Amino acid sequence: MVILRKIAAVFLVLVISGWIFDRYLLRDFLDDHAEQKLQVEKIKNCDVVYMSASSNFPQYGDDDTRKISQMVASYFPNQRFEAINKPASHAGVFKRLMNSFPENSEVSTFIITINLRSFGADWIYSELESSLNKANLMYSNRPAIINRVLIGLQAYESLTEEERTSLRNEYWDDQTLPVSDALISVNKWCAEYKWGDWKNPKRQLADQFIKQYAIIIQEDNPRIQDLDALVHEAQHSGVNLLFHILPENLEKADSLVGSDLVEIMKDNAQFIEERYSSKGIIVVNNIDLVPSESFTDKDFPTEHYDQRGRQAVASSVAQQLKKL
Amino acid sequence: MVLYYLLPKNTRWFLLLLASYFFYGFWKIEYLSLIVISTTTDYFAARLIYSSKAQVKRKLALAFSLSMNLGLLAFFKYSGWFIEDVANPVGLLGDDVSLKLMRFMSFALPVGISFYTFQTMGYTIDVYYGKATPERNPLKFALFVSYFPQLVAGPIERFNTLMPQLNREVSYDYRNIQHGARYILYGLFIKMCIADNLAPIVDQIFNQPDIASSSQLVWGMILFGLQIYSDFHGYSLIAIGVAKLMGVDLMKNFDAPYSSLSIREFWSRWHISLSTWFRDYLFIPLGGSRVSTLKLTVNIMAVFLISGLWHGANWTFVVWGALHGLAYLGERWFLSSDTKNTLSVPRWIATMAVVFIAWIFFRSDSINDATLYIARMFAWESGSLSISWDPVLISLLGLFLLSDIHFRNRDFDEWLQTKSSLQRWSVYGLLIFCTTALSGTVNHPFIYFQF
Repeated sequence: MVILRKIAAVFLVLVISGWIFDRYLLRDFLDDHAEQKLQVEKIKNCDVVYMSASSNFPQYGDDDTRKISQMVASYFPNQRFEAINKPASHAGVFKRLMNSFPENSEVSTFIITINLRSFGADWIYSELESSLNKANLMYSNRPAIINRVLIGLQAYESLTEEERTSLRNEYWDDQTLPVSDALISVNKWCAEYKWGDWKNPKRQLADQFIKQYAIIIQEDNPRIQDLDALVHEAQHSGVNLLFHILPENLEKADSLVGSDLVEIMKDNAQFIEERYSSKGIIVVNNIDLVPSESFTDKDFPTEHYDQRGRQAVASSVAQQLKKL
Repeated sequence: MVLYYLLPKNTRWFLLLLASYFFYGFWKIEYLSLIVISTTTDYFAARLIYSSKAQVKRKLALAFSLSMNLGLLAFFKYSGWFIEDVANPVGLLGDDVSLKLMRFMSFALPVGISFYTFQTMGYTIDVYYGKATPERNPLKFALFVSYFPQLVAGPIERFNTLMPQLNREVSYDYRNIQHGARYILYGLFIKMCIADNLAPIVDQIFNQPDIASSSQLVWGMILFGLQIYSDFHGYSLIAIGVAKLMGVDLMKNFDAPYSSLSIREFWSRWHISLSTWFRDYLFIPLGGSRVSTLKLTVNIMAVFLISGLWHGANWTFVVWGALHGLAYLGERWFLSSDTKNTLSVPRWIATMAVVFIAWIFFRSDSINDATLYIARMFAWESGSLSISWDPVLISLLGLFLLSDIHFRNRDFDEWLQTKSSLQRWSVYGLLIFCTTALSGTVNHPFIYFQF
């Protein structure tokens, strides 16, 4: 009996600690570690939420400095549009964020941006994953103090640099892709590429294109499982979903690596489109929408577009959104 | 723990053995074989030493045990370093051979190998000197080697204190739960609130010493000293608490080391289980203090250098040990051992200066990094590194340091026992609140797990 009384007393202390944390410390903590949770609170009563990584942002030198989400919103003057942006985010993060919207939220539509790189080993085993995993804990609908304790106990996946490098290389060694009528691994493809030695910037860029996009997306990919969970959650809570496959720099992929890589990228986009269209989700496949000159980063494959690129993307998304 | 107390008393030790092997195997199942090798070697070596009357046989058995344990340690912990930093620079091996050997040896260091090999070696040496009677039951001996609360980072226990407790049939006693829970709570507070909150600041300064100002570098050095202390002290208290829950007393591993007035005193308060191990199994067998001055000097330096190497395969740890050894010898030669007749503040400052400067070598990746750090620290330069000082962290640190001084030569648990119920629960409330709401947020494993 003594021990039960003590356990009850400890529980009471935990409840009081939770109350103090919620009242005096939670806001600052979220601001530092999971600012999107605060954003969810602010925007829970809008109509449409646009979720994206850094692709939404304007680029240096643009005259039109609107984000893609603002451009899409301009097509719907009577709707309340909001965006949640977090660099390096992906479907796994969006899934947590969508779940963290309260039941009485007025949001009727979520636009989920999808970039192909987020399905690959470089992104899955990225060092940014640790902080995203940490933030994900705070998006869980448990009492905040429990989430805080779990963060203190480091109860989230956080791989070391050695572990990440090893997992990436394992993936790039094991997965085979159809190249010139043969099946080769990513590492072998990179090694055989013919842009000269490793110091050649073109070769380095070609190498990155292969490592980022040379993947065969299948059902067991963690991002597909995240997207499935998003669909399940949307159907459960009765909100609309629009999946938006972001444009990739196909022209650059073609000129640097060749048509094999472009075909793989298109096949992957098509796989996603078909999989989710068949589940009744509107999928906007913009994989080849933006020309190479509108991609602002020249030394690494990204989904950062100049104003013309963003305008084209926004127009395309808006056309499909009108169907909802 | 519930299962432990539900089982019949005479079978509980077996549950602990299973739990210990599961605990170690959960990290990497292949390395369980190392514990099995150490256990088997020392079980049979000790029995042979005990039963044999021929001195040669006894010596051979002891030598076999020590070679096996030190061999495992050398192979897993030091072989990569030896090839890369010792053999290679002097051209002992060709480049190709070195590269092939390095690739072959690119495995992870087995967690806790330095701790359990020392514990099991201590047992065999005790049997050799007639200080211990060997355990008959090989599975119970396996539990002594692998006992999970202290398996991966100590305290390094002695056979004569731990084994009888593991053999004892423990009855459920609420006081054990109470005392164990207190140690665990205090240990969690120290690890999660102090060490884990200091870690990002220390990393920031040590990763970019070239842009840190001299004052920031001084702070980096001091904060690392506090980080490693709170990290390891916190872990030790948790280990002591977990063992206590099951009625086992582990030895105290730290006792306010930063209040020491000499290096000698520091080592009687810092990582006590290791320093007493070196004293009993290395320093005394080498002759102890009753030898010539020259031999004593050599012995002391040998102990400190080996202690440095025990921590890791890097020249930085050797220098760390050497600095402590030299300071220890300096005190022995030039200072009176009677601290009552000397000014304590200057003595304390001098001791801490040695301890904290030596930490720079301990924390740095290379001797070069450490010397650059120290050079910049003493150059009194400004820098561009921006560090935010969180008032909550400063308060927590203040609380920790005050409590550490308060518990000097005392025990947290015993102190709490003398307080009223209201006072005790105020302390619990404060510790629970700090641990749940103010703990560190960066993933930082226990520092001593790497040794």
